[in-house]
Amino acid sequence: MSVTSIALLTALLAQPKTSDSAGVDFFETNIRPVLVQRCYKCHSNATKAPKGALRLDTRVGIRQGGDSGPAVTPGVPDESLLLAAIRYESLEMPPEGQLDADVIADFERWIQLGAPDPRDNEPTTETSNIDYSAARRHWAYQPIQKPELPDVRDSAWARSPIDRLIASRLDTAGLTPSPRADPRTLIRRLYYDLVGLPPTFEEVETFVSDPSQQAFERVIDRLLDSPHYGERWGRHWLDVARYADTKDLVLLYGTDALRPYAYTYRDYVIKSFNSDLPYNRFIEEQLAADRLAKIEADFPRESLAAMGFLTLGRMFDNNPHDIYDDRIDTVSRGLLALTVSCARCHDHKYDAIPTQDYYSLYGVFASAARPLELPLIDEPKNTPGGVEFIEKSAKLREEFRKFLDEQYEKIGDTARMRVSDYLVKVVDDPPDPLEQAVFFMSLIPGRLKPPIVGRWRRHLAQVSEDDPVFGLWPKFMQLSAEEFEGGANDLIAKTDPGQINPLVLNALKESKLSTQAEVAQAYGELLRDAYVTSKESSTTSTAEPPDDATAQLLTVITGPRSPTWFQKSKTYLLMDRPDRDAYHSKEREIDKLAIYDKGAPPRAMVLVDVPGLYDPRVFRRGDPGRPGQRVPRRFLRILAGKDRQPFPDGGGRLDLARAVTAPDNPLTARVIVNRVWMHHFGEPLVSTPSDFGTRSEPPSHPKLLDYLASYLGETRWSLKALHRLILQSRTWQQASFDRPSMREKDPDNELLWRTHRRRLDLEAMRDTLLAVSGRLDRTLFGRPVDIAENPDNRRRTVYGIVDRQNLPALFRSFDFASPDASAARRTETTVPQQALFGLNSPFVIAQAKALATRSAIGNPTPKKRVDALYRTAFARRPTAVEVDRALRFVADANLGQEETETKLTTWQQLAQILLLTNELMFVD
Amino acid sequence: MTAPQFDPTHKLTRRQLLRRAGTGLGMLGLAGLLHEENLLAAKSSSPVDPSRPLAARTPHFRAKAKHIIHIYLNGGPSQVDTFDPKPLLDKYAGKELPSGNLSTERLTGAALASPFKFRRYGKSGLPVSEIFAKTAQHIDDLCVIRSMYANTPNHEQSMRLMNCGDERLARPSYGAWLTYGMGTENENLPGFIAMCPGLPVSDVSNWRAAFLPGIYQGTHINTKQTRVEDLIDNIQNEHLSRPEQRRQLDLLVELNRDHQKSRAEDAALEARIQSFELAYRMQMSATDAFDVEREPQHVRDRYGNSVQARQLLIARRLIERGVRVVQLYHGDVQPWDSHSNIKKRHTDCAAACDQGIAALLSDLKERGLFDETLVLCGGEFGRTPAAELNQPGIASDGRGRDHNHWGFSVWLAGGGVKGGYVHGATDDFGYKAIQDRVHVHDLHATMLHLLGFDHERLTYRHAGRDFRLTDVHGKVVHDLIA
Repeated sequence: MSVTSIALLTALLAQPKTSDSAGVDFFETNIRPVLVQRCYKCHSNATKAPKGALRLDTRVGIRQGGDSGPAVTPGVPDESLLLAAIRYESLEMPPEGQLDADVIADFERWIQLGAPDPRDNEPTTETSNIDYSAARRHWAYQPIQKPELPDVRDSAWARSPIDRLIASRLDTAGLTPSPRADPRTLIRRLYYDLVGLPPTFEEVETFVSDPSQQAFERVIDRLLDSPHYGERWGRHWLDVARYADTKDLVLLYGTDALRPYAYTYRDYVIKSFNSDLPYNRFIEEQLAADRLAKIEADFPRESLAAMGFLTLGRMFDNNPHDIYDDRIDTVSRGLLALTVSCARCHDHKYDAIPTQDYYSLYGVFASAARPLELPLIDEPKNTPGGVEFIEKSAKLREEFRKFLDEQYEKIGDTARMRVSDYLVKVVDDPPDPLEQAVFFMSLIPGRLKPPIVGRWRRHLAQVSEDDPVFGLWPKFMQLSAEEFEGGANDLIAKTDPGQINPLVLNALKESKLSTQAEVAQAYGELLRDAYVTSKESSTTSTAEPPDDATAQLLTVITGPRSPTWFQKSKTYLLMDRPDRDAYHSKEREIDKLAIYDKGAPPRAMVLVDVPGLYDPRVFRRGDPGRPGQRVPRRFLRILAGKDRQPFPDGGGRLDLARAVTAPDNPLTARVIVNRVWMHHFGEPLVSTPSDFGTRSEPPSHPKLLDYLASYLGETRWSLKALHRLILQSRTWQQASFDRPSMREKDPDNELLWRTHRRRLDLEAMRDTLLAVSGRLDRTLFGRPVDIAENPDNRRRTVYGIVDRQNLPALFRSFDFASPDASAARRTETTVPQQALFGLNSPFVIAQAKALATRSAIGNPTPKKRVDALYRTAFARRPTAVEVDRALRFVADANLGQEETETKLTTWQQLAQILLLTNELMFVD
Repeated sequence: MTAPQFDPTHKLTRRQLLRRAGTGLGMLGLAGLLHEENLLAAKSSSPVDPSRPLAARTPHFRAKAKHIIHIYLNGGPSQVDTFDPKPLLDKYAGKELPSGNLSTERLTGAALASPFKFRRYGKSGLPVSEIFAKTAQHIDDLCVIRSMYANTPNHEQSMRLMNCGDERLARPSYGAWLTYGMGTENENLPGFIAMCPGLPVSDVSNWRAAFLPGIYQGTHINTKQTRVEDLIDNIQNEHLSRPEQRRQLDLLVELNRDHQKSRAEDAALEARIQSFELAYRMQMSATDAFDVEREPQHVRDRYGNSVQARQLLIARRLIERGVRVVQLYHGDVQPWDSHSNIKKRHTDCAAACDQGIAALLSDLKERGLFDETLVLCGGEFGRTPAAELNQPGIASDGRGRDHNHWGFSVWLAGGGVKGGYVHGATDDFGYKAIQDRVHVHDLHATMLHLLGFDHERLTYRHAGRDFRLTDVHGKVVHDLIA
């Protein structure tokens, strides 16, 4: 045997192939990025004719090489043309400048390792047919540019930059703005806008006595400082975050379905708005609080709750693919107004988002899982009964942990011990569709697990001919039954011993192979024996490290790319039905303890990076059973460019957050200012707030959008500064009344010649009824409360249980945002169910009674009582006509003068009607 | 007082309409409006007006069927014991099937012969099991699909597939799609009603609106409740008589008219005023619709005396009043799920509904509602021809069958389908659909077609995509259509 062939053999034995993660990691970390950045430009499918016919973007390309022959000789750096070229020994590549010495050393090391390259089965193109330079011309991808402020006709009116940008458009259209709204209207509008509650009569009167701009600004400040501000604006964000309090699992109803710690996210959001947490920081915490907590010594533990943004979505019967998809969707639509989820099965049909980008993000989320125990975010002693609770739950948690450990151990062990059965099954039985990602299958004890069968199938379908362990497998599988015996012997005889793992060759030689199943059996026994031996030797301290050939077998049977390997956090997917039921019931027991025991201290619903990060592959047609090209975990090409780097920090969530909030990201700031504008005016500037793609309508006021986005950057992402800017503008303060001559020219008020009249949403409606009846419980934060079934609950609506699986009729009929997915904006329908709630619901009746009682305080005359009712309900005095009408209503009936259990008095009936008026339910 | 009519000058402008409704709701509307302006090829459905989202709208094309009644035999009835007889099972009873068993939820063993007798009925001479002898009297009007198949042998996923066209994702139910597409003929009642004594598996997701506006979600009526007032939220005022409430409403109208004077151009104010009038009338019509006591005794007798019978009779009353989609689930959780003792369990389940189903079909015909109502009867999947194993303590005559998504039967009637007709076939033992197979998506495409919709064009823009009931699947099965 020559020196070269010994070297080759060593290299082959050492060659990690697809199943060795260390080699692949080395490639992903040190080699692929360089190839992508420095070589692909000329040597990939990105160009129609790769230089020298050499393509470095596929494994085949790099092995076969171009005009000059193979680019690498695995294991033999000195015979590899690629290395010679980058050393500038032959060709000088890349021509624009030599790579750094340590990068060249990496290539040498990589080739020495056998040039491990996971890029088998990759499609040849990175980005199919997307024309990025054309795509980038779309308005949303243009850099944000702070506009010059235009001159306007009425410069006295146009006080603020917003006003000038609005007035200039009005000028062009021949429109004029409306005058400032009257003080009563203005103050009421402001209250609903900032805190979602009506002002009291006294608060209105104070403002009416001094309605100056200065006084107005003082009210703005006061309301922004109010804790109720966060309740109002936090709720807007919760729509985006598709917040819900419950698990959507089958046969789990009522409070049993609560996620016991979901509320900590809701409270985090409210507090973040109240403290004016910079919006970029808000995003970073929501995506990667766990990483920040590691980096920053003073990271407040409470802020770990931010990650509910990712973890509070639907559970999709525990199907991980859908769970990651939901996270991708919430992040991309919610923060970037990009519909990345459209690229799950194929490249986005309209926007420049290839499936590769989707799976890059998939890799980020698949690299994170919920830890077995959620972190406490407060000292247990701060919760009454907290210390006791921790003790009480410790036993359950320990049992749960032990059960999981045992299952993890048992399932992995059984799968390895039965490898022959699996391989024979792969050979003998046609694929069953249920093998493919059927995560919710009931697995039958003692039977092979269809998902593992499927993984073996995929593994074996992907082996290449030079794989030292399974390289012969495809050839055996090509033999027909008739020719099998002779063919198999031929195959073995012809095999170059240098090309194959000697243990495999030996085992195949020793077995009498007359069927494919016997090949499977031989392989299976060999792998099982290697596994058994290593298991036994791991228990003895004197064990020698396995030889190279055995190590290769062990990689196949126990390595992280083995079909028998799975993340511990995914063990439940492989449990037999009875075990899985037991597992979930233990999990539910722990949750239930926390749901019903008020002593449970708050915890954060975090994610953490999993050991063995997930290296994503594109799933062709979105089918996890058809993995294709590998992609790095990294950001979207349309935003970060072709040469973007893989995310370096762990699974990449913090990198993702930083890419989202990068100052040169043109979307994030535009998206949030558009949402803020929408909540201030009732209409956004871009009519599709969660989709800025090419199918969206362009902004009605592009310069204004950019002005606001720049302003946000200048104020260090302060949303309160943005509120002030908007609320102080004359544009916002305009009256809403009709001006037919203007309406004729701009019937939809697109140019904002007046303010849009708005109807109260569910929260403002219910909170208003409680507030004016004097029953509102202003307690902040805490566990969710049942407001739908319990008419006596007096908390603000934001604290009501959002039951995703069974959203109460109250929520649905009043257009609450569906918590199934991130909501761009609420619909606004008018349906009789809303009116039925007003007329008949125990809740409204209770408020009507309370309002009537409130108006009777001090035993006033009927006239004074009407006055009190109007002051309380509408924060104004009634007109004489209104007083007469009310008195007639109260007095006219023979019935209803006395209060009984079942009858409403006429005063109560009157109070109820005031609560149902358009005057109360609309904001001018 | 009489309710004022909608003032046409109060109509929302197109842009307002699109905006108030959110983008998605607008899209159907947009299609319609563009059509009016001849900008879009013909055949659009008419637009959704968000101030009256339940108003009746015309579908894509003229169709016979205007309503659906879905008799949902939840839990999974066995095809070989109901509408797909397999004499060969008798031959192999107790033995392994020569074709082997297919993978289903649990372990299955030897073939299990049907414990029921089949007889041929009607002119068509189609065979039906004795447990549906009364329904079988209508066989010449039934369109039996014997080649249904689904994706998974699990209840939760298959229920959602059958109702929403997807096993896991939050997609709207077909009832929500249809109500969104067509509105309802009676705005005094919900457009889509799902009755069940309790809750079926997958509960509310069976009739959810998902990303469609909440108003299109099915209204769940728990028929365990017998008091009419308990069936619908807030349908009755416990504290006021009707005249008292009318007097209250008159005051409300006065106050609102005052308020409206300086805001006359705003259609949303008028819409809200009208919604109270609608609600007032709804109190009467809804309680009336659910009150079977108002039916003559002979009608009630005809349907029988069970929860099923009551649900079926209510279904007829609802259809009669213009409700678009009525689902009636057989019972809480999954009553047809006969893993053991299929003989007794199927006998009991069928006994509870057979008479009522037959009565409903007769009743619809007599009232001239049969042709405009599409009746669908079936479960989320079928059952295995092989017996389920591993049931300690169960004697062999107490055997049952496992779930089977590979092949099962449903039947359709009325609403433009062929009668006395069998479509497709399973293999010799009834395991797997093999001939003219009909996936659940195909059934959905066909149902929408029968109601006047092209399933590829009834879409809603959500999260950047135009979603539809059948996703990227579904073919109309024209052979079913008369």
